[in-house]
Amino acid sequence: MKSTLTDKVPLRRIGQYGIFLALVLICLVLALITPKFLTVPNLTIIVTQVSINALLAFGVTFVIITGGIDLSLGSMVAVTGVVAASFAHPDTYPLVVPLAMGLLAGVLIGAFNGFVITKSKVPPFIVTLGTMTIGRGLALILSKGRPISNLSDTFNFIGGGKVLGVPFPILVLVVAFVSCSVILRKTVLGRYMYAVGGNEQAARASGIDVSKVKMWVYTLSGGLAALAGIVLTSRITTGQPNAGVGFELNAIAAAIIGGTSTSGGTGTMAGTLIGALLIGVISNGLDLLNVTSYYQQVAMGVIIIGAVVLDSFNRTSAS
Amino acid sequence: MKRLPITILAATALLGTFFTGCNRGDESGSKLTVGVSMLSMQNEFIVNVSDEMEKKAKELGVELVVVDAERSALKQVEQIESFVAQQVDAIIMNPCEVEASSPAVTRALAANIPIINVNSETKTQPTAFVGSDDVESARIAMRYIAERLGGRGNVIMIHGYMGQAAQLKREQGAREILQNYPGLKLIAHQSGEWDRSKSMSLMENWIQSYGGQINAVFAQNDEMGMGAVKALTAAGLKDKVVVVSIDAIPDALDAVKKGTLDATVFQNAEQQGARAVETALKAAKGEAFDKQVLIPFELVTKENVAQYLK
Repeated sequence: MKSTLTDKVPLRRIGQYGIFLALVLICLVLALITPKFLTVPNLTIIVTQVSINALLAFGVTFVIITGGIDLSLGSMVAVTGVVAASFAHPDTYPLVVPLAMGLLAGVLIGAFNGFVITKSKVPPFIVTLGTMTIGRGLALILSKGRPISNLSDTFNFIGGGKVLGVPFPILVLVVAFVSCSVILRKTVLGRYMYAVGGNEQAARASGIDVSKVKMWVYTLSGGLAALAGIVLTSRITTGQPNAGVGFELNAIAAAIIGGTSTSGGTGTMAGTLIGALLIGVISNGLDLLNVTSYYQQVAMGVIIIGAVVLDSFNRTSAS
Repeated sequence: MKRLPITILAATALLGTFFTGCNRGDESGSKLTVGVSMLSMQNEFIVNVSDEMEKKAKELGVELVVVDAERSALKQVEQIESFVAQQVDAIIMNPCEVEASSPAVTRALAANIPIINVNSETKTQPTAFVGSDDVESARIAMRYIAERLGGRGNVIMIHGYMGQAAQLKREQGAREILQNYPGLKLIAHQSGEWDRSKSMSLMENWIQSYGGQINAVFAQNDEMGMGAVKALTAAGLKDKVVVVSIDAIPDALDAVKKGTLDATVFQNAEQQGARAVETALKAAKGEAFDKQVLIPFELVTKENVAQYLK
């Protein structure tokens, strides 16, 4: 077990390096084409925009490392956003209430995913596909199909406020990144995640409580999705029941671009962050260059495939 | 949730044919049933239209069975087919697609059940149409921008989902007006997918590339208009840029009152819903009715917003 883990580490590093190079390369090209790209305000905007996808991507990285998948992310963004917004009207509850209720909603849905997956042995793809629909329905039921607006200024600070010139979502992103990296790299739970994803049978044989690890990753994913939902709701100052449609795909893409293998057992938070930044930079760059919507979608796909191909090319040449 | 009533109705209809096959005629004096298939109950405006229909139906003593097509034309056609099978007295359809929802109209007409399209159109001619002309809403919005800018300036347009009927029509209307004002220049246009956060990000990026050059923004719905307003406000540019959008959702009306959104175009959900039910009822009873009921759009600015705020 130990030996396969350490064997994979240098390979992962190189892979991550490759995707980092791709990011730098695209930034350089954009900086050369348009002077508007490499400015502090623009880079700040990119990171702010990326924060929501990155939070979701961190959660799904845990899940994918254990060999699972979470398709309910986008719906969880909607439910948690709607729940938080319901408690965030001015002069009703103190700020902790909408935050706690939103997080609780995400954690509960995540734990539900983990519970069904570990108890029933139904593939995570199917379980979280079900939760995706349930979540969307819940968001519509709770909001009666209408956006929940008129939120307090303190709540709106989370998505729109600045601390010492730094937008608050960026601070949330940094704290989440550091925490997730620590969980993954420095804790027993993190090591178990790699073990479960690398070889579930072997992990079980070596005494790891596989079900417990899985409960943890889906719950973490739910909690991070709630954080994303709260940031999004605060950013647009409304709880939208139809928010977050398709968000899971961008989050999964960020993790995979960042070197997390869909077969489980590999992946880092740094890689995922770079993957999310790459998607954000491309989207921003294409807007700056005023590329029309039709071409944007094609260009985005081509660049994502290109980045991953470059990455796998790097890996094979290294080994 | 919305599927429960239809299942029950289907079951009762089935039972009805078995046990009380000839009872239908005896019931002619009692409640008429109208089947309603809506584009998407995740859209606030559509939900409003549906609520207004229920209200009107209650008032007129009509039984309404509302189902949600969830933006799928296929599903919608199936829903209409089951309405036909249940022999409802009339059908109201809020079409998902111009072409793909057309077979639903054909099925209903073939079964001699009047079908009324509400809010948007199908290629096949229904019994009657109740709604507004989307092209006109964009003309109104863009004309307001032209007036505010004195016919000169740089305009940005935020589209809905590319290729949808509402997007195509609102783009058409906006471009018609732009052509009449050579001083107005469309410097950028992009899809905000009808979504507030997507449109906010788009606007943030445009502020980086165009900054102070932007004089006006036309967003094809209020959600996206609100997103643009948020981005412009954060960048301290809102006072210099005119933002206009369409639909007059409550959030947008609040924003117009506060002066952050310059104008929105009111599409009358109440009238559309109520007139659709009235027309369906007339058609079902064989009374005279208008084949085309056009509900006019209204421009909402700070001056007249009070009358729209409930």
